[in-house]
Amino acid sequence: MEELKNKVRELLKAGTVQAVIGYRAGSDEKTARVAFVRQPDEADGLILDPRCTDNLAVYLLKPEVKLLGKLAIVARPTTARTILQLASENQLADGQVIVLGVSADGKAVVELASFEALEKFVGQVPAGLTEEEKVLLAKIEGMSREERWAFWQSEFARCIKCYACRAACPMCYCSRCIVESNQPQWIPVSPHDEGNLEWHLVRAMHLAGRCLNCGFCAKACPMGIPLNLLTQRLAEEAKAAFGAVAGGSATGEYALSMFKADDKEGFIR
Amino acid sequence: MENDNKATGAFEPKLVAFVCNWCTYVGADLAGTSRLKYASNVRVIRLPCTGRIDFMLILKAFAQGMDGVIVSGCHPGDCHYTVGNYHARRRWILFRSLLDFAGIDVRRVHFAWVSAAEGAKWADLVNKVSGEVRELGPYKEYQGLAGKGIA
Amino acid sequence: MARIGVFVCHCGENIAGTVDCPKVVESMMHIPGVVHAVDYKYMCSDPGQRMVRDAIREHKLTGVVVAACSPRMHEPTFRRACAEAGLNPFLCEISNIREHCSWVHEKSEATTQKAIDLVRVMVEKVKRNRELQPISVPVTKTALVLGGGIAGIQAALDIANCGHKVVLVEREPSIGGHMAQLSETFPTLDCSQCIMTPRMVEVAQNENITLYTYSELESLDGFIGNFKAKIRMKARSVDMNLCTGCGSCYQKCPQKKIPSEFNTGLGTRTAIYTPFLQAVPNKPVIDRDNCLYFKKGVCKLCEKVCPTKAIKYDQQDEIVEVDVGAVVVATGYNVLNTGFFPEYGYGKYKDVITGLQFERLASASGPTSGEIRRPSDGKVPETVVFVACSGSRDPAKGLPYCSKVCCMYTAKHAMLYKHKMHEGKAYIFYMDIRAGGKMYEEFVRRAVEEDGVNYVRGRVSRIYEEDGQLVVKGADTLLGGMPLEIKADLVVLATAMVASPGAEELAQKLHVSYDAYKFISEAHPKLRPVETNTAGVFVAGACQAPKDIPETVAQASGAASKVLQLFSKPELMREPVVAVVNRTAPPLFSTCVGCFLCEKACPYQAIGREEIKARDGKVLKVVAKVNAGLCQGCGTCVALCRSKSIDLQGFTNEQIFAEIMAL
Repeated sequence: MEELKNKVRELLKAGTVQAVIGYRAGSDEKTARVAFVRQPDEADGLILDPRCTDNLAVYLLKPEVKLLGKLAIVARPTTARTILQLASENQLADGQVIVLGVSADGKAVVELASFEALEKFVGQVPAGLTEEEKVLLAKIEGMSREERWAFWQSEFARCIKCYACRAACPMCYCSRCIVESNQPQWIPVSPHDEGNLEWHLVRAMHLAGRCLNCGFCAKACPMGIPLNLLTQRLAEEAKAAFGAVAGGSATGEYALSMFKADDKEGFIR
Repeated sequence: MENDNKATGAFEPKLVAFVCNWCTYVGADLAGTSRLKYASNVRVIRLPCTGRIDFMLILKAFAQGMDGVIVSGCHPGDCHYTVGNYHARRRWILFRSLLDFAGIDVRRVHFAWVSAAEGAKWADLVNKVSGEVRELGPYKEYQGLAGKGIA
Repeated sequence: MARIGVFVCHCGENIAGTVDCPKVVESMMHIPGVVHAVDYKYMCSDPGQRMVRDAIREHKLTGVVVAACSPRMHEPTFRRACAEAGLNPFLCEISNIREHCSWVHEKSEATTQKAIDLVRVMVEKVKRNRELQPISVPVTKTALVLGGGIAGIQAALDIANCGHKVVLVEREPSIGGHMAQLSETFPTLDCSQCIMTPRMVEVAQNENITLYTYSELESLDGFIGNFKAKIRMKARSVDMNLCTGCGSCYQKCPQKKIPSEFNTGLGTRTAIYTPFLQAVPNKPVIDRDNCLYFKKGVCKLCEKVCPTKAIKYDQQDEIVEVDVGAVVVATGYNVLNTGFFPEYGYGKYKDVITGLQFERLASASGPTSGEIRRPSDGKVPETVVFVACSGSRDPAKGLPYCSKVCCMYTAKHAMLYKHKMHEGKAYIFYMDIRAGGKMYEEFVRRAVEEDGVNYVRGRVSRIYEEDGQLVVKGADTLLGGMPLEIKADLVVLATAMVASPGAEELAQKLHVSYDAYKFISEAHPKLRPVETNTAGVFVAGACQAPKDIPETVAQASGAASKVLQLFSKPELMREPVVAVVNRTAPPLFSTCVGCFLCEKACPYQAIGREEIKARDGKVLKVVAKVNAGLCQGCGTCVALCRSKSIDLQGFTNEQIFAEIMAL
């Protein structure tokens, strides 16, 4: 922990960066929230413990955060993968952000100034679903079609279209989301069942092959909808069908921007 | 579109087909010039290429009351734009798996390669899909969504 | 508010026979925005078009829907009519109620209802159509002709003689193709080489034609008016500039037993060779698979005897890149592999040959100098049996289509034989005689009546050898299927014409469609017979379908005229069906966030990047930009774009969405 704080102080003192994005304690003991550290002495308030699960990369592209100057960011492996994925989508340039990579056990902190270093860092940590996540997915996949429909309908029925899932997602960086497009109005504005279903499917499809499975969307949902299951399902499918895994490299290819002539499917007549 | 056959009162499915301009549309033209007879409950929407077919179109078609959707274009290797159909195929692989996962009845979404020379395949396809969806009945689940859940 | 006019065509009885056209008109009048709807017997006729033009002026229409045949038939017709009346042609759409409705369904209410739905969908689309302006594209006035047979030669000469550059590519070491192999041609019996070789020389001497023989198309990129072709010049192992064509090399070459392709395996050639004496260019190539030096590293005799030191063993394949505006595909045909018919014994019996082999036997330049001697022992055959339709018109074992030339050349073969061997007997087994063509029927009659050729209507079931004698077993169906056995000295199979090897790969390189038999598809079977579905790529000769020489030459001239039409103007107007990245008010400038995932997906590399700058030159944003010259309008980028920032003119999100909403 002291290692991180020292590193942050150092970077700010030397003027290498103007702000560091990290975690600080939340309003109760169970939560952590984002900290934008701009003075060396503010580093004292930083924390790094199991509460710190948010994917801080979401802040990197916010215009008001960009105004702070050059940034460093505390990044667990998932966040680091997010940064590489954003780079592959031309949203971050090499050297634009200094990453303070936190090892999986949360103890060691390494300064990663280039994408190359970042790629090595994430390469050491296996990507993919946890065993618990796989079990949950398998449970839904194991349902009958009608049960799955009923399950999701009961989940989506709670959606209030607050778009917290979108705001929390570092990959949802469009300046105009499809839901705000009104010529045509692809997705109805009001939170009724048809629009809710469409929103959640379109969100999942837009993240297909791009999602880093940070789970921030589901965590942000005030109605407790497990909507990360949808993106997880697609990440699994992209991996199985095309061998595509997001976030491995700053020059990685998007699964839907490319193809193989012998891509396999079993349903086209 | 009329949902029920007025003469018999039996259920007739409503189908929409999103087809590419160069293969399936021409194949359907060929079915016409060959005077092949097939079920009349499909409406064709012409797009330049399967690559242009946004997955949203399929959702909107169901929302609009369609009981089944056909998506069709050039065979692999034959795309007028060389590779649009390969891109489309990738999208369909993911989208279909998502639909299935969300509990949408994927038996109502049919993907097919129909070339400009395959007028007979087109006629067969429409007949088969029409028959299969007729068996499944109206897509009440999806059609029931519209307007439902508004507080 | 939109003011849409709907014009419903009866197409005589073609539409009105099954669709209640007045009812379609009536229901259109209830759609908001439709101010005029009318039906007429033949909308594409002059009075029909006038109705459209008059209505546009009278009702101040902002959009037109013509409910008629497929847009592939008359979309250009009606768009032109609209333009004549001052309406932007892209405000006109066709609703296909013939091919997609009236022709495929029985007369019923459901059929009329479908027609109404289809028209309504198009009305909703056209309400959202925008005025578009054609895109002008510069045209490179050089044509690429693929294939140096009679089709390619004719097309190349026609184009070159109008003053345009032509690049002619031939896979073999010489141009000439199959026509150079033929002995005499029907129905005039003039010598094929006598009419062919002067044309070959003309090609060689025409300064507008660049000839690449022993070369193949490697790739074709770009679009009409602006193609980039890569041509692989296979290593000849002979320096074309140094070689004088003296022939010392092939006279000395010790490898003399290689079956000659030109002589269809009936004669031999050397490892360094020209395919035939009149070859153009008359300069040899080394067949590396059969050359002693390339196989074993010894020999080099040709290098020793070459007076100009033109032999280059280390020559490599070379890729040349040429910019061309149009392509003519004239890659010809092949004859069917007779493996389809093991019962005919081709390959097993030396004296069962193909029609093309007979051409070489009958040709004065052939292995027997024109004397018809059978391959096994050189004996002059006393009885020859010709088997027509060996593979053609046989869906069960061969090919369902008719090869079109066999009836005529079989008659010719029998005549040539009879002219040389008056006492000989010629039998032709046939199914039907198809002799449509100027002087064709008369030609066949001559074979029967003047030359005494025996026509037997029936199929051959088996050819076998008995005591060193070929026996052809068949039946004469005109005599009630009477079984027939003919002892023959030579049997000639009129094998089917099939696509040339590699036709499929070539079609894929050119992005043109081909049929189930790998023949290249024309854009329209009647009205656009020399165009393909790829703009700027034309087709001529037997690579499109089996055809004879006059037809091939006519089609080649047709293709050439299409190329010349394209070259007649400095610029070409293209349909503006292209993708466009949107623009919005500052500070956004465009909803494109510059992820550039579309850039990688574009099949034409048409998407680039554009910097949006402030007045002081500071880059505010980098967004995608479509090069309208390269974009072909597939719309793959549009479906990929998450924020819907890129759209396809003519097939916009708004239009397609409205179509679905109208279902």
